[in-house]
Amino acid sequence: MADLLALLPLIVTTAAAIVVMLVAGFSLFGREVMALLTTGLFMFCFFVQAATLVSMPFFPYQQTFGSMLAVSPFSGVAGLIILACGGFSALASQTYFGHNKGYVPEFYAMLLFAACGMLLLTMAAELITLFIALEIMSLAVYVLVGADRERLLRAEAVLKYLMLGAFSGGFFVMGAMFVYGGLGTTSFAGISRVLAESGLFTSPLATAGFLLILICFLFKIAAVPFHAWVVDVYDGAPLPVTGFMATAVKTAVFCALVNLLLTDGSLLSVWRDILWYLCVVTLFTGNLIALGQTNIKRMLAASGIVHSGYLLIAIISADVTGASRTVIGFYLAAYALATLGIFSALSTLSGNDEKRISFADFNGLAKVHPYSAAMITVFLLSMAGIPPTAGFMAKFYIITAAFSAGQLVLGVLGLISTILSIYYYVRLIAAMYFTTPEDDFAITGLALAPAGTAVLAVAVFGFSLYPLGW
Amino acid sequence: MIEHALYLSVALFCLGVLGVITRRNVFVVFMAIELMLNGANLGFIAFARLHESMDGHVLALLVMAVAAAEAALALAVIILLHKHKGKLDTNVFNLLRG
Repeated sequence: MADLLALLPLIVTTAAAIVVMLVAGFSLFGREVMALLTTGLFMFCFFVQAATLVSMPFFPYQQTFGSMLAVSPFSGVAGLIILACGGFSALASQTYFGHNKGYVPEFYAMLLFAACGMLLLTMAAELITLFIALEIMSLAVYVLVGADRERLLRAEAVLKYLMLGAFSGGFFVMGAMFVYGGLGTTSFAGISRVLAESGLFTSPLATAGFLLILICFLFKIAAVPFHAWVVDVYDGAPLPVTGFMATAVKTAVFCALVNLLLTDGSLLSVWRDILWYLCVVTLFTGNLIALGQTNIKRMLAASGIVHSGYLLIAIISADVTGASRTVIGFYLAAYALATLGIFSALSTLSGNDEKRISFADFNGLAKVHPYSAAMITVFLLSMAGIPPTAGFMAKFYIITAAFSAGQLVLGVLGLISTILSIYYYVRLIAAMYFTTPEDDFAITGLALAPAGTAVLAVAVFGFSLYPLGW
Repeated sequence: MIEHALYLSVALFCLGVLGVITRRNVFVVFMAIELMLNGANLGFIAFARLHESMDGHVLALLVMAVAAAEAALALAVIILLHKHKGKLDTNVFNLLRG
């Protein structure tokens, strides 16, 4: 019974996904009602997850189903972020499908199924459970990317994503097999127990296995040198889906990576040096790619690579205590707020068939839609890390964590990368405010995405005040 | 004995990786990915024998189920791509160049 209680958010989300799938199958509701229903269900799941998180100290066991799954405050917070991302993406897609083709009712069911996979991923405490969760999430997201079957662009994006995703999945399974061969177990608790007994990496098989698993994770978080897919796939996906991928998928995968690395510190201590170099390369390559973009979607995708780099800083400077998890959770939440905000604003403003998508298309937006321009500015400043936004606090916590862990060089490099990144965020702000409008920015029909955007803009400021006890 | 099974498993995996990297046909690339997964499955079964536990068998079965789900989606994508261009050569799909 306690097991089921800990899993309650997952069960509720799965039930919601099945309900939406049935509703879509029988074509009971129209496009607008489907979006409202999905948003409502995401909100309900969010509250169930919040209630579970609050009552977590009273659970008798943290490990459920024979240590296949483990719930912790960190996985709970990640679940909250994921469900909020789902809700706001549903709001954004309501508006998006108002002036874009490619709507299918099953879209919303897939959004919920992806959230199920992500929730399972945050709780996974065993390698094959992790793989299954990863695939549940990925398969649903592939469908979301390619749901519009009429456009070749979407089909190409899903081809690229699916091929490379399945390829990295193959690496994960091979890695899990080696770990199983070397250590005789695939559960995180078992792995750390064996590693504690026999010392670090006495088994060459397990060492190779963990390396393969690391490759898969680096691919999923789009760290350099496994980042090539991310810009193209984000560009090819519909805007609300891009927002969902950039936030929820990243949150879930980082949560799983942290759960694996910080079960005990031994895995992290071996990987720390490799991760250090990869992190630095990720930060600066991501910035270079973002500097060269003229398309906002591609710029945001490249900046997502940089944000993965910041999260890697937090992981590298982590210790086994809960403090580093708090910092990572805070950063993920702050990043999700700003990214979702900008994607829901873009879902409104991009117009028919995503016609406004480059920097130049937004010239003079502030003169026509001052509120939208102001909100986009808030999100961009938060992503750049300008006070008093949530993004600033998140970066502040991460750099402080790096300094207090003795990673001085990494902290300084993180700061330099922040300064570089200001250029491409401010470029869009400058385009919106300091040029004359060429476009009338006509928005057809009032919709839900602007409401979601406004909530997120307030949340960006509100969340920066959240006290982080550590 | 276990070495032989492991060599075969790693060889299958490497053939799969090679296939993904070198082949241009989308269909063959997916076949190569399946080869990678099945190489890992063989290893699971072999190690289950070595460790004398059933875990490996269960894990291999689960991986097979996931691979089947992935193949179902992959085939749908292949049909979609073929509908658009009439070809499955990856060179034909060049709208997205990162």
